[in-house]
Amino acid sequence: MSKASKTAGLILLAGLLLVASACGAKKNDAQPSPSAEPSESSTPAASNSESQAPGEKIKMRVITITTDENRNNIMEKYIKPNIAKALPNLEVEFEPGGGGEDMANKLKTLNASGDMPDVFWDDAGYFTPLKSTGSILDLTPYIAKDGFLDKYAVPDALKHFDGKIYSISSGADTYFTPVIFYHKDMFEKAGVQVPTTFDELIGISKTLKDKGMVPAVTPGKDGWGPKLYMLQQMIQIGDPQAMADLVANKTDFNNPSVKAGAARIEQLAKEGVFPDGIANLDYGPAMEMFTSKKAAMLWMFTWELPNLAKDDTVDFFPFPSAGDAYDPAKFVQFWGSPLNGYAVSAKTEHPEEAVKLAEFLAMADALYFESTGAPIALKTGNPPAESSPLMKKFIDWYNPIPTKIPSLALNSLDARTSAELSSQGANLLTGEYSADKFAEAMNKVWSENTWFDN
Amino acid sequence: MNKYFSTKMSIFVFAAPALLLFTVFCVYPLLPEIWMSLHKHDGFRSLGFVGLDNYADAFNNSSFWTAHRNTYLIVGISVLLGLPLSMALALFMDVQPPRLRRFFKSSAMFPAILSVTVVSQIWVAFYEPNWGLFNAILKSIGLSSWTHSWLTERRTVMPSIGLVFLWQYIGLNAMLFYTGIKTIPKMYYEAALIDGAKFVQVCMRITIPLLQDVIKYVLILSTLGSMAFYSHVRVMTAGGPGDVSRTVIYQMYYTAFDTSEFGKGTAIAVIFILECLLISFLIQRFVAKEKLEF
Repeated sequence: MSKASKTAGLILLAGLLLVASACGAKKNDAQPSPSAEPSESSTPAASNSESQAPGEKIKMRVITITTDENRNNIMEKYIKPNIAKALPNLEVEFEPGGGGEDMANKLKTLNASGDMPDVFWDDAGYFTPLKSTGSILDLTPYIAKDGFLDKYAVPDALKHFDGKIYSISSGADTYFTPVIFYHKDMFEKAGVQVPTTFDELIGISKTLKDKGMVPAVTPGKDGWGPKLYMLQQMIQIGDPQAMADLVANKTDFNNPSVKAGAARIEQLAKEGVFPDGIANLDYGPAMEMFTSKKAAMLWMFTWELPNLAKDDTVDFFPFPSAGDAYDPAKFVQFWGSPLNGYAVSAKTEHPEEAVKLAEFLAMADALYFESTGAPIALKTGNPPAESSPLMKKFIDWYNPIPTKIPSLALNSLDARTSAELSSQGANLLTGEYSADKFAEAMNKVWSENTWFDN
Repeated sequence: MNKYFSTKMSIFVFAAPALLLFTVFCVYPLLPEIWMSLHKHDGFRSLGFVGLDNYADAFNNSSFWTAHRNTYLIVGISVLLGLPLSMALALFMDVQPPRLRRFFKSSAMFPAILSVTVVSQIWVAFYEPNWGLFNAILKSIGLSSWTHSWLTERRTVMPSIGLVFLWQYIGLNAMLFYTGIKTIPKMYYEAALIDGAKFVQVCMRITIPLLQDVIKYVLILSTLGSMAFYSHVRVMTAGGPGDVSRTVIYQMYYTAFDTSEFGKGTAIAVIFILECLLISFLIQRFVAKEKLEF
């Protein structure tokens, strides 16, 4: 063999080694590979803590929501300052998860690549693929054993319909519902009153617009508002029973009351209740438009109530009625789902420590929401905090409502139906898309919805 | 030394690492992708062999065709509008004094080196219908009737996004053309000058014909780059409203990740790969066929 060939061979070998090392798996061979069958283990697995050298910290990765002000406050005021003291044996790396579809896609991708974080924020929207691949741990034996479960006012509320607990949260979700926040001073300046009917809502919006104000704002990009609450509210204010039936899959989008709900969104867009470009308005800019008083009303969930309550001019009212069947004192949408909260990867090497971390994070949420006066289901051991007048008003209205209708977005949609509802909802907000087209498109997807097959 | 570098073995050795990486990361992943496109697949596991159903479904989906229309609109804007403008900019730069030329070169590159997210967010603010720059300018000059909700109206959303893409990469293409112009020997220009040729004649008879290899390269780059158009859409409109501003790549992403139908998503990907190969072949086959040497 010539010298040139030997040199060439060596270079080729080096190249191969480089590629092989780049393609090599990072984790050791003992790491279980993603299984096609779900892991149904329900007993606390032995932690691999023994493999840690004495004094060496266990590394944990966490991905959680990072989109709204509450989450930033929880991270800065409750998690970062306390985590080292509360969990001295852990070294925790937080990765921003964003929110909504971004968060869902990030976790689905990590799951597909076998790189799930140890602890993550779970959501009903992406729970199914995680469960079907055995990537989410049943927390029941862990939190029952260490007593964390006893800290919940209603432990059964944490259970999925298969009887297992996959996520733990502060329980504040149950108290989140969409309302219409408004600036009292802007209403006063425009000479309008809080509307009690849908027609009055359209009427005051026209007056506000004539006075040079943006009547109402809500996040519309990617169909955020229509999917999460607007369609539900617009159906519910006309016929709450039809809405409850839709959530329970007892009716479809051909239901006249459901179609009427979609038509109300089309009407809102055409009448100029929302600003131009609402279908492309993101969460942050929508909030900014309201807090800077460019918009008189904000259609939003009450998770923003603690922040908005800091402004004395802000008040809220429930969605006004569009028919005799609806009374805001009798029907309300609630956000909560037992699947929303901190979850632990079934593939984590340290399940017990990961569950402890999830418990710490859930408690941090609870402490934060408690400090705002918001009701929570997880007992912190602290005396109840003083609620703001706005929070008191909310609790006094919300708690006695006898019929709380679960959210369509969390309790009835598989991934495809959820994505299509986002798209179709954004279409409705343009005012260039008819409710009939919406109903036709949604009905096709709804007929293939697999959510209720599980 | 030359005897080592001119052997077939040495050519193979130098090409091998790149070839290996290309095979491992580009060719090999195609095989499971094709397999996946023939299955009902949720991204984690196959839910059964479905043959060509995913392909049929893609062709019967109106969003697939909307995405194609949008993608080829962007390709059209990029190639038919962007390339002539880039060439004009390059020719303009070439005749400027050195100081001004340096300024134009820096300015031309600036948008291209900015992050797509930053550029897209800036333009979202420009397009904002209530207090964005464009509508404000139109109102200030008495053209209120020309204002639009640029990113939510069906008629305006894709041209608006296309303009951003054009703005960001027009300078980069101009720089590529300009670099090509600089490789053309000066003697051709001197001869043309002696013969009394005008600027336009010099461009049409000397510069552009001698730039054909660069034009071909930029054409392929622009065409395939525009076909892979995704990031601007993701940031500016998330494909919306509805499916109005989805491109093929966005439709593929939406189908695979948002709806968890990875079988259908990969079918779109396979169709799209074939389209890209065909277009690339057509450009190679019909553009700048004859080798010009100077």
